[in-house]
Amino acid sequence: MIETFWLKLFSPATAFNHPVTLWLTVTTGAVLLLTPLVVEMLRWAGRIDAGLRKELHRRLFSWLFLVPAIVIPVLLGPGCTILAIAILSLLCYREFARATGFFRNRALSATVVAAMLALTLAEYDHWYNFFVALPSLAIASIAIMALVRDEPLGYLQRTALGVLSFLLFGVCFGHLAYMANDRDYRPIMFIIIFCVEMNDVFAYITGKSFGSRKLAPNTSPGKTLGGALGGLVLTTILFALLGHWVFQGGPLDSWIHLIAMGIIISLGGMFGDLVVSSIKRDLGIKDIGTLLPGHGGLLDRFDSLMLVSPAIFHYVGYFQGWGLDQPVRILTG
Amino acid sequence: MEEWRYKSAGDFGLPMHRRLQSVRRESGLISSLTSQAWWLGTSAYLRTYHRLAVRGRDHLPAKPPFIMIANHSSHLDILQLAATLPMGLRDCAYPIAAGDTFFETRSRRLFSWMMLGALPMWRKKSVRHAIEDLRIRLLEEPVVYLLFPEGTRTRTGKIGRFKPGLGMLVAGTDIPVVPCRLWGGFESMPPGAKIPRPRKMKVTIGPPRCYESIANDRAGWNAIASELEHVLIGMET
Repeated sequence: MIETFWLKLFSPATAFNHPVTLWLTVTTGAVLLLTPLVVEMLRWAGRIDAGLRKELHRRLFSWLFLVPAIVIPVLLGPGCTILAIAILSLLCYREFARATGFFRNRALSATVVAAMLALTLAEYDHWYNFFVALPSLAIASIAIMALVRDEPLGYLQRTALGVLSFLLFGVCFGHLAYMANDRDYRPIMFIIIFCVEMNDVFAYITGKSFGSRKLAPNTSPGKTLGGALGGLVLTTILFALLGHWVFQGGPLDSWIHLIAMGIIISLGGMFGDLVVSSIKRDLGIKDIGTLLPGHGGLLDRFDSLMLVSPAIFHYVGYFQGWGLDQPVRILTG
Repeated sequence: MEEWRYKSAGDFGLPMHRRLQSVRRESGLISSLTSQAWWLGTSAYLRTYHRLAVRGRDHLPAKPPFIMIANHSSHLDILQLAATLPMGLRDCAYPIAAGDTFFETRSRRLFSWMMLGALPMWRKKSVRHAIEDLRIRLLEEPVVYLLFPEGTRTRTGKIGRFKPGLGMLVAGTDIPVVPCRLWGGFESMPPGAKIPRPRKMKVTIGPPRCYESIANDRAGWNAIASELEHVLIGMET
């Protein structure tokens, strides 16, 4: 069992088996190194002022840590990927729990964390039945553990916060982790994450250029309808082109499927962003954490990935399936 | 029907180094687990190695907030004081520790935070402000403060003068102060000693006192400090 654990954890030999993995890694690395130069040139040309330059540098500095934190685990192996996403889930949950005050319910908080660890086990083990059983088991456990204090006042609030945080940060991100059980998980994950992040960029740029009508002024005043539409079109094109390369020869290699997945990614990314914005507005806070200078918390950065993961997982799962040729229940079987 | 109310962590939105300096810091799941384990281990050590005996446990208030004060003669004192608390109260107990000693280096900060769950009290700068923050927290949240009003360990074995800061925390409030007299710390591990000797330790917990009618000014603070000083000196085994 220990041997299978290590085998799943590391398999860097297969890292660049797919050309898309290699190309996206190289491109992202190059962009990361070139952007500071572009910022300096813009400042030199007098196009941006010192304040904006400082803000851009702060964001870039965060990306300098974020990109390796995403890329390296995925390249190292499926086990590393699953563990990295588990850490992401736990840190996002921590930010949410501290912002809402949910963390003061020690027993409930421990239940949510335990359920997230169980999800990680199911993903690592490649045990789909346990993976889909966990949401209902976790909800039952949270509803029971919320009884323990024998304090009906606030029962609904603490149960609801526990269930929501487990579903959003455990299960939703868990679907991304489960993808690591596929032979070709690297290129698929890379294009999903890449397109989700680019969707933000596209929406920002087109919103600046064409956006005048606000999308949801009360939730997120910066978002415009023009930006959302621009993001939708550009992200779908980008995903269709990259996806055609990744899903080559498979059942998903048709323009209808590729466009559908592109739309899912763009809309899912936007709605994930709006979900977290709504949570923050409701709590009356600006950023949900302080981990990433210039971005806020981890959740502020990964919110767009939250809803995309399960949607794409099940779309691909329905038409093509995940890891059908891979051994299942490698630890518990 | 009650509306949903959210209360973010007291140190929410602060970067890590500021969190550690904040008296509004709240422990999370991990630091709560580590400090619970620490208190479990140290109280087992005190019961076996120092044959710790506690008298007057029924004087402890059933529910926080309250303050426990004690005489200070050794590094073991804080362990001795925390060992008198029941398990349920240890999670909300915060020792008030000197910032310039316990939060000075990185490793000490980590220990004070993860094990002791201590809140820093900076003796030199902005004492008034820090005490005001501690007082607000005491009025708002179910916390237990463990503190040594002398402010430092006795070098002679005798109880020193109590600092008025204690009075600033409780004057004019209904927060009970529980006086505790610790015995055996000075004999086991006086200032300067490296390894504790296996001397017997005792704790006597006195009845709690309230200072609701005392004015929140300098005269009131001094009155509270000197009264509690005399209470502690008068306590017997």
